[in-house]
Amino acid sequence: MSACVPLLDEVLKQAAVGQPYFDGAESAWLAQLRQGERAVLAREGLPDRHNEAWKYTSLRALAQQRFIIGDSEAGQRPVPETELHLPGVDGPRIVFVHGVFRADLSSLQEMPAGLEVTTLGQVLSTGAASLRSWMERPIADGAAAFERMNLVMATDGVSLRVKAGFHIEAPVHLLYLGIDTDAKLAWHTRAHIELQAGAELSLVEHYAGSSQSEQFATVVSEIRMHEDARLQLTQIQHATEAVTLVRHEHFHLAPRAHVGMHTIELGGALVRHEIETLLEGEGAIFDTCGLFAPQARQHVDIRLDIRHQARDTRSSATWRGIADQRGHGVFHGGIVIERGADGADARLHNKNLLLSDRAEIDTQPVLEIYADEVQAAHGATVGQINEQALFYLRSRGLPLAEARRLLMVAFCREILDGIFPQSLQEYLAERLIKHLPLSMQG
Amino acid sequence: MSNESATRIRTKPALSGVVNEAIDRRYGAGFVTDIETDSLPPGLNEAIIRAISARKQEPEWMTEWRLQAYRHWLKMTMPDWAKLSVAPIDLQSISYYAAPKQQPKSLDEVDPKLLETFDKLGVPLHERARLAGVAVDAVFDSVSVGTTFRKDLAEVGVIFCSMSEAIREHPDLVRKYLGTVVPVGDNYFAALNSAVFSDGSFVFIPKGVRCPMELSTYFRINAGHTGQFERTMIIAEAGAYVSYLEGCTAPMRDENQLHAAVVELVVMERAEIKYSTVQNWYPGDEEGRGGIYNFVTKRGDCRGDDSKLTWTQVETGSAITWKYPSCILRGDRSIGQFYSVALTHHRQQADTGTKMIHLGKHTKSKIVSKGISAGRSSNSYRGLVKVARGAQGARNHTQCDSLLIGKQCGAHTFPYIEVKNPTATIEHEATTSKISDEQMFYCRSRGIGEEDAVSLIVDGFCRQVFRELPMEFAVEAKKLLEVSLEGAVG
Repeated sequence: MSACVPLLDEVLKQAAVGQPYFDGAESAWLAQLRQGERAVLAREGLPDRHNEAWKYTSLRALAQQRFIIGDSEAGQRPVPETELHLPGVDGPRIVFVHGVFRADLSSLQEMPAGLEVTTLGQVLSTGAASLRSWMERPIADGAAAFERMNLVMATDGVSLRVKAGFHIEAPVHLLYLGIDTDAKLAWHTRAHIELQAGAELSLVEHYAGSSQSEQFATVVSEIRMHEDARLQLTQIQHATEAVTLVRHEHFHLAPRAHVGMHTIELGGALVRHEIETLLEGEGAIFDTCGLFAPQARQHVDIRLDIRHQARDTRSSATWRGIADQRGHGVFHGGIVIERGADGADARLHNKNLLLSDRAEIDTQPVLEIYADEVQAAHGATVGQINEQALFYLRSRGLPLAEARRLLMVAFCREILDGIFPQSLQEYLAERLIKHLPLSMQG
Repeated sequence: MSNESATRIRTKPALSGVVNEAIDRRYGAGFVTDIETDSLPPGLNEAIIRAISARKQEPEWMTEWRLQAYRHWLKMTMPDWAKLSVAPIDLQSISYYAAPKQQPKSLDEVDPKLLETFDKLGVPLHERARLAGVAVDAVFDSVSVGTTFRKDLAEVGVIFCSMSEAIREHPDLVRKYLGTVVPVGDNYFAALNSAVFSDGSFVFIPKGVRCPMELSTYFRINAGHTGQFERTMIIAEAGAYVSYLEGCTAPMRDENQLHAAVVELVVMERAEIKYSTVQNWYPGDEEGRGGIYNFVTKRGDCRGDDSKLTWTQVETGSAITWKYPSCILRGDRSIGQFYSVALTHHRQQADTGTKMIHLGKHTKSKIVSKGISAGRSSNSYRGLVKVARGAQGARNHTQCDSLLIGKQCGAHTFPYIEVKNPTATIEHEATTSKISDEQMFYCRSRGIGEEDAVSLIVDGFCRQVFRELPMEFAVEAKKLLEVSLEGAVG
């Protein structure tokens, strides 16, 4: 570990003191787990660019920052009503402000049958064994420093469970907010989501807020899918451009479980989003679609790590990137087909638009195959708006800016089209257009 | 849209017969020539490097250059990023210099046993060389023993000699280019090579000259415990053209042998270099014992506008291959190409690919990589396509296909695409050939047996690469693959 890493020093200092986590429900095993991971974190430090997993994302600037960990006022901060709603997302709402659960902003009165929503603190105080085994899942080497940091520092989180056989119709809204404050805040939170056998859930995970002061946040989600469970997950990230956001999702899929995932990454200053999926059961299916669009000085790093471990598992990944101005987009699409995962079918495609001579795209589709009788394909492209298509539209009387906008939305259409609920599709298309600096090129 | 990188992997279960036979094929070129070698004691230090330099009667600057590389190397560690499992290499137990005792002055004086060795390998020396129309600078262990067709080449001003000779007779040329493409501290193995390189080939094609024949070097590692540290350099001046062939084969050995070669190519305005390799070094036995460690740094610098560089490789040998022939596309409108077939079986490991660095305007690159893995081998493609900020209008097309034969092998693809210029464009789409049920069914329905069909399809799978090889090499490459498939049929 290098001599001076303020970001890490603060974490280690606070973790050493020990503080009430999860509503004071700290148990002995958790304290021990955290101290152990703290020691590893202190030893390994933050990954540098010699680490393959961090080759294109430098943490040097972030590491030099000093944040105040945790917000003591998070429970009282006012949030405008408009921040709490998404069109068509009308199921139960779970709201976190700076990683702290806000019962007053959440809407959990009319709970559909079969759905259980609690905070991790509550689960811990009842001594749930499953949670312990989830949290004790081994964390990888030095590349996973933020996953480790989250385990050591998380102060709260949500536990969401759908009981066997229940289908939750209305989409559940899980909202993470960063509010404008005077201080530079850091917050860490977790989500544990379990769909029991045959359960179905539609979940909208949503990152938003108004923070103009710098913030640093980590969110780790553990998602366990039992046999025949189905999850429709929509992720919308439009945090302000003052926020550094590191997310890690860890999926476990039992036989015939199915996850369909749509991700829209618009906000953030430095965004790192890791999606790790274990297809453990025969016939499990994982589909992911996503869009990232770094503009201005945004840096967005998407990392997929999909492991086929059982027979006849399927995965597909379709991701689009648009980098403009000084935006830097990084995409790593890793697919591993392990020995014995015969009949696996894996597809990954990443297309990118590079629109400015100051922007950069680095893409890395990786295949590791240890089984035969499999089908795997990946492709990646980097290019620009098709000049002929642009010419065609202009020859039909469309102004340049309008034509560009049309083609850009068309480029993203494949991602937007599958989003659930449908009402979000137009909302997100509009947000996307606002996000892209199209007018500057018109 | 552009900068295409596409991979497809698909396999079929019904290949077990083919697999077993392919795996069981014996290494045809495994024999040891019994010649006394005059080696330096094992070990690596400044004294050894000075001794190598002294024996080769090198000028002072060359000795200093080697020492500079050595001091660089001391500060470096062996890279571990490749998907390879490498047993620790004891570099102090290697003898860094081995030369045949009799120093021949002409071909007639060459040790007949040596000629016999080349004969077994089919090196066209003597009349055979003339008949084949190929000039051969045959490297036996570390010192060049015979060079033919020098006179024919000299008439048009082409220099084709051993590196040691070039250092003695063309010191200014060597000094001007040595280490300018692969600097002494480039990487661990390149630095080691720079410190201890024994010999290699030197080719200089003067301005406007089209080399009248294909140049060829056969390397052969012979003495046990000697690492082979070849240093090859080809310079094509403005408007020059040369096609260079490199073929490798080594005798059976129980211990791992290290080979860390460096190849530097310089391509000036409108010049073209075609560099072709057929690599068939001893891959180790069924259990992975023995076999060559092949850690090679090959790089070409397209310095001039409109220059062109083509790497073609057929890699079937070596226990471990770590090799990324690269093109630095510096000149405007320069073109880089990479065609590769890599076949691994038993416990062979290959981590190979290319780097295309687009720096100049309107540069183009093309990558075609075919990986075939069988047995318990591991075969990885690792390639970098980098478009620098100023590389206006750069184009790249990459296609890498893998064929898996058997349940215990691995085929991996690690492309890196880094683009900083928004005008990078490509319109070509990747195509794939693979053993599909349809292909097999079609062949079988035409009365072709299963094994024949597989051999036919694999040949088709590699054809795109074979087509790029000079005729002599295409024959050898095809034969190499056939040998592995022949057993499968019978």
